[in-house]
Amino acid sequence: MIFVISEHKDNKFKSITSELLVFAQRVGRDFGQPVTAVVLGSGTAVLADELKNKKIDRVVTADDAQLADYSPDPYVQVLKALFEKEKPFLVLIGQTTQGMDFAPRLAVALRKPLIAGCVEYEKQGDRLVLTRQIFNAKMNMKTTARGEPPYFATASPGAFPGDEVEGGGNAEAVNFPVEISRPSRRKFIERVEAQKGKADLTAAPIIVSGGRGLKEKQNFNLIFELAEAIGGSVGASRPVVDAEWLPREYQVGSSGQTVSPKLYIAVGISGAIQHLVGMQTSRCIVAINKDSEAPIFKVAHYGIVGDLFKVVPALTKIFKDLKRA
Amino acid sequence: MKIFSCIKPVPDPASRLIINETKTWIKDQDLTFVASEADNYALEESLRLKEKHGGEVVVISMGGEEAARVLRSGLAMGADRAIHLFDPKFKGADEFAAAGTLARAILKDGGADLVLAGVQSDDLGTGMTGTMLAEFLDTAHATVVVGVEAAPDSKSLRVRRELEGGINETVELPMPAVLTIQFGINQPRYASLKGIMAAKKKEFKIWSAADLGLADGAAGKAGAMYEVKEILIPERKSKVEMISGTPEEAAATLVEKLRKEAKVL
Repeated sequence: MIFVISEHKDNKFKSITSELLVFAQRVGRDFGQPVTAVVLGSGTAVLADELKNKKIDRVVTADDAQLADYSPDPYVQVLKALFEKEKPFLVLIGQTTQGMDFAPRLAVALRKPLIAGCVEYEKQGDRLVLTRQIFNAKMNMKTTARGEPPYFATASPGAFPGDEVEGGGNAEAVNFPVEISRPSRRKFIERVEAQKGKADLTAAPIIVSGGRGLKEKQNFNLIFELAEAIGGSVGASRPVVDAEWLPREYQVGSSGQTVSPKLYIAVGISGAIQHLVGMQTSRCIVAINKDSEAPIFKVAHYGIVGDLFKVVPALTKIFKDLKRA
Repeated sequence: MKIFSCIKPVPDPASRLIINETKTWIKDQDLTFVASEADNYALEESLRLKEKHGGEVVVISMGGEEAARVLRSGLAMGADRAIHLFDPKFKGADEFAAAGTLARAILKDGGADLVLAGVQSDDLGTGMTGTMLAEFLDTAHATVVVGVEAAPDSKSLRVRRELEGGINETVELPMPAVLTIQFGINQPRYASLKGIMAAKKKEFKIWSAADLGLADGAAGKAGAMYEVKEILIPERKSKVEMISGTPEEAAATLVEKLRKEAKVL
């Protein structure tokens, strides 16, 4: 049996849940394993109904007021009890701020392998080989879990196509009785939504983004000048924001804004997965970087390997001349 | 407040990485190692907490000479003492084995009020070890932390976690606790010359697997939960069109292509 731990908020599944279902359906087909989706929460009936139409075998719900707001201790207790009873082959969890908050604890509590950040899998004989990205996506690492199942794995957001979930199922719904003997050590206080300041990039048609390759704060002027010449908005990668060259609201990526302009120009951005998930659906992506191996070139349509301090001013000049003409 | 700050040595991000003959890791003999970037933020946060609440900061790392090197840098930044987990048996550890070994060492040293680690390392980058450490130590934890505030009695903490889409969540934790620190929480300080000199006189313990009472199967590769089958450079799936020439030529060709081919201008 393959289990998918769903992730949801405000009675809606997050996109990672469909991606995990696709992952599970594919591994399930290749290994002849049925698929069970798990919903932890309070008032899970609506969510469970939605899953029942997917081509899976079971939906297990664990319903308790203590599961209403996510917290790692109750999650680990309930899932540990479930997997001691169910003996899965594989448990799939999202490589998200929630998934990675409890999956490592759960794996240690059960003394079972966790292979995190998977982007692909393959079947070698009867063995499951999971591929994860290392060194900031510059290399891939193929791994196999040791010992007896269950094996735990987390999937990187965007690695599996969530819109390819097979439907047309009639899954059986099962309630797993919850016993949370130890209350959560961690207490939820509040959640604050992201501020959308002047740099709302979600609607910008053209974005010029700068990264660490710019070396210093004052060099970011090159980005502002190019953006102005081309009539675009300015974005930034996480290291730029961390170094306080620009305020947080300029950040593009998983912990910043997700953008999809018609033109995205990435300057001196190597392309960490967290950045790529925030911009890879852009219609046309240009990457300017001195490192030809930089992962940004994997998602780019046009690439220039070279010195940004020479290429960017050259570009700016062309656009300025075009404007004047 | 006794704070452990975990530091992982990783190849300098500027180095060119080459896969080894057995394709199970990179050739690491000739590389320069530095502290994994997120661990620097964790150490800075540890030092700030100590400056505010008193106590001590212990830096801990596992590995060969490269670990000793990042520990000495940590002492120079202001940590009070260092523990170097050094044993050929520690080699080849995965996150599970590393967390188990770190937990043993922390307990041997009398435990901690707080353990801080970077949210993820620059090499494996999965962000598991800190959270696994919390389970081994049986303490509360929080991941992806962008703000820490300890209660005046040092018995609890309020921390801010960064979730997807820039949403922040505030939670309260009892101490002891483990926190994984997000990039950008602070601006890590540089070691001063005075700090580098002072570091030489600070306590520097070296512990082996035997010192920790670890059984042979519990550390390093033998204690790992998964096997590395192969390391490879991923195939480029996209058909990126590389534009060559001088900067001026490349810029001109690009603009031409954006206008005529991609039609986005």
